[in-house]
Formats: sequence, C-alpha cells, structure tokens
Amino acid sequence: MNPDAANATGKFEKAPGSTSVSRLAGREVVALVARWVLGGVLVYLGLNKALHPVDFLKILRQYEMVESHLVLNFLAAALPWFEVLCGSLLVGGIAVRGSALLSLVMLIPFSLVVLHRALAIHQSTAGAFCAIRFDCGCGSGEVVICHKLVENGLLILLSALLLAVRVNRWCLRYDLAGSR
Amino acid sequence: MAAELKRVLVEALIVSTLGLAISLTANLVSPRGLSLTRNYFPGTGSKPAHPPSTAPAEANKMGAAPSDSSPGNGPGLAGGNSNGPIATQGTNRAGQATGEIVIARLKEHGLQPIDGKQAVQLFRDPQYEQELIVFVDARDERHYLQGHIPGAYQFDRYYPEKYLPAVLPACLNAAKVVVYCTGENCEDSEFAAVALKEAGVPQERLFVFAGGMTEWSANGLTIEVGDRKSGNVRETRP
Repeated sequence: MNPDAANATGKFEKAPGSTSVSRLAGREVVALVARWVLGGVLVYLGLNKALHPVDFLKILRQYEMVESHLVLNFLAAALPWFEVLCGSLLVGGIAVRGSALLSLVMLIPFSLVVLHRALAIHQSTAGAFCAIRFDCGCGSGEVVICHKLVENGLLILLSALLLAVRVNRWCLRYDLAGSR
Repeated sequence: MAAELKRVLVEALIVSTLGLAISLTANLVSPRGLSLTRNYFPGTGSKPAHPPSTAPAEANKMGAAPSDSSPGNGPGLAGGNSNGPIATQGTNRAGQATGEIVIARLKEHGLQPIDGKQAVQLFRDPQYEQELIVFVDARDERHYLQGHIPGAYQFDRYYPEKYLPAVLPACLNAAKVVVYCTGENCEDSEFAAVALKEAGVPQERLFVFAGGMTEWSANGLTIEVGDRKSGNVRETRP
C-alpha cells in the first residue's frame, strides 16, 4: 500500500486508478482459477481413462458413434492422453487459448453425445430425467447424468472464458507464437 | 481480430499435433495400451450386442463389477446400489428376455451356453480338481483379484499376449472349459471363448456360463480372492 495515500486520521484514500487496478487483478485471479480448475479436471478425468483404456474403449463402443474398429481404437487410445495434455498446458499456462479451444472442441460434442444418450434412456424408461445415471466414459465412473451435464456446462463456460479473455499473468508461456 | 483468431487456431493446431504424438507414444509405451489395428469386437461391427439404452442393468455383487462390455456399465436409475450398476425397474423381466437373447447369440456363434446349475455341477465335479474341467474368468485383473470362481484362470482377452501362455495349455488339456465374465449381459466371455477357439481349443469343449459372477455370487457360492489358488476363499452372501 502506498503510504502517501494515508491521510492524517490514518485512513487511506482511494488512489487514482485503483479501481481499474483491482479490476485487472480480479480478472487475473479469475483467469488463474479458471485455468487451474479446467486444467485440473481435464488431467484428472483424462488420467482415469488413460489408465484404463479398455474400459474407455468399451464405453465408447456403447455410444455406437463409429463403425470402424480402427477409429474406435484410435479414439480410445488417443483422447484420454489428449485431455491430459490440454489440462497440463492449462495448469501451467502454456498455449492457453489454443488449449482452451481444444478443450471446447472436446467438451461440446461429448456433452451432446451424453445428452443424446441420456434422452434415449429417458424415453425408454419411466423415471425422471435427473434420476438417470450411467458411466458416460467421462472418467469419473457412474454418474447422475444431470450433474454431469451441469459440470460439463461449467467446464465449457470456463473454456470459453479462457478463450475470450486475454490474461497472461502467471502463465509460463501464454502464446506459443508470441513472446509471453 | 482475424489475426488473433488465426493465431489461436495455429496454436490449437500445434497443440493437436503435439497431443497426437504424445497420445500415440503413451499408448505404445503403456503396458495397458491398446493395439490400434486389432478388432477387439470381431463379428459385431464395433457395436454392442446390447445397446445400453435398452438393456437392463445388473445388480452389482461382490466380484461382479462393472468392467465388462456389458450394460452393467450402462444406464440405470438412481436410487439403487451406488457402488455399481443400478437395477432398473422391471429388471427381472427384461433380464430374462436379455438372457434369452444372449443364449441365442451364443448358439449362433457355435458356443454352448450353460446355466448356473450346470456351472456348479462342473465346479463340484472331481474332474475339476484334476484340471480336466477348467474355469476361465474373462474379466480384467482388478475384478479378478476382487473375487473369482475358485481355481479359475484369468484370461483378459484384451491382452492375449499376457494371459494366453498360462491359460491356453490348461484349456488344451481340459475336457471342458467354462468361460464366464460379469453376468448375462457381458460379452467378454463370448469373445474370450471365440479367442480360445481360434487359439486351438476345440469348440465342443467350450462352454459359456452366461450368468457369470453375478449369478455365482447371487447363489451364495464361494469365491477366491486374489491370485489363482491363493487359498483366500470366501463365502458370498446371496
């Protein structure tokens, strides 16, 4: 704190521009938290899948998205590690916007596929939508699907935030191409 | 703006390329890595026999864990056993229908399905002690160690190079080989039986215990925890 800002009564007066400074600091903290939360979740979920690729392969197969076993194997083998990489880069603050874009590209279609499956189950059962639970292949085991969709929605928001807001504080290398 | 967008896209492309390289290397190096070219689900067109949206979930029992390519991993309704697959309303009826479908499919593949009663008879047959009857557990290591039919060999068909050297000689010497996995809806026992057949075990000696660990545990039969012949045998509670 600038000692000059203190008046005779010992109270501090607002220095000019301090609002914008604190707003900037707030943005930096928000960006840091967003990076760490999104990155941490991606690393955790990615590792869970990467360590059990057969389980992930079986679940992917249940979505009936691809006919070719080559594509299925490739997705099961590559996606988890891809997730781990994006998460690690976000945590470290490296290639932040590129990683955020990739996490969006992974999260949006995957959430839609999970939603589609949940709706299909909802149609074939009499229960409430939010009572549906299954292992969606997200890396967290069997989950209540409503919770998963909300969680994914939040992760998508965090990705979009990191993509839209340019804050390079506390980043090892914010831009791969540029300076920092 | 356009330059910024381009920059982000290029960055994403670089990360993607790096990700691809890391993914493939990690998969190659990992002992649990997948073979990219192997068809793990031969004859099914990479589609499950029971789409999870329609198949019933199984009740989770000791050792009958949801690792198979079964709808045990699939959907259920909240409010049941939170440790595993949740029984849906009308599971019994649907389960019965699914059981019939499974049996029909096994027969279609030239495999001989057996029920729980027959599995117990084979297990109690004196020939089992002499290894003329062999049980093969087609689940993964984690679930095998949690509990398997006493004396059963493990054959995680996704890693044949690891398990076949031990299980194949036993199967070739046996008069009857009983393959099982989690339960009625799992397909790993079928695929494992087919793999054994392709490895040289005569088809007429191969039997698939469709009820698997779920039925075994539900009947309160003994299970062996840990490695094969670990001696750690426990009763299951029906």
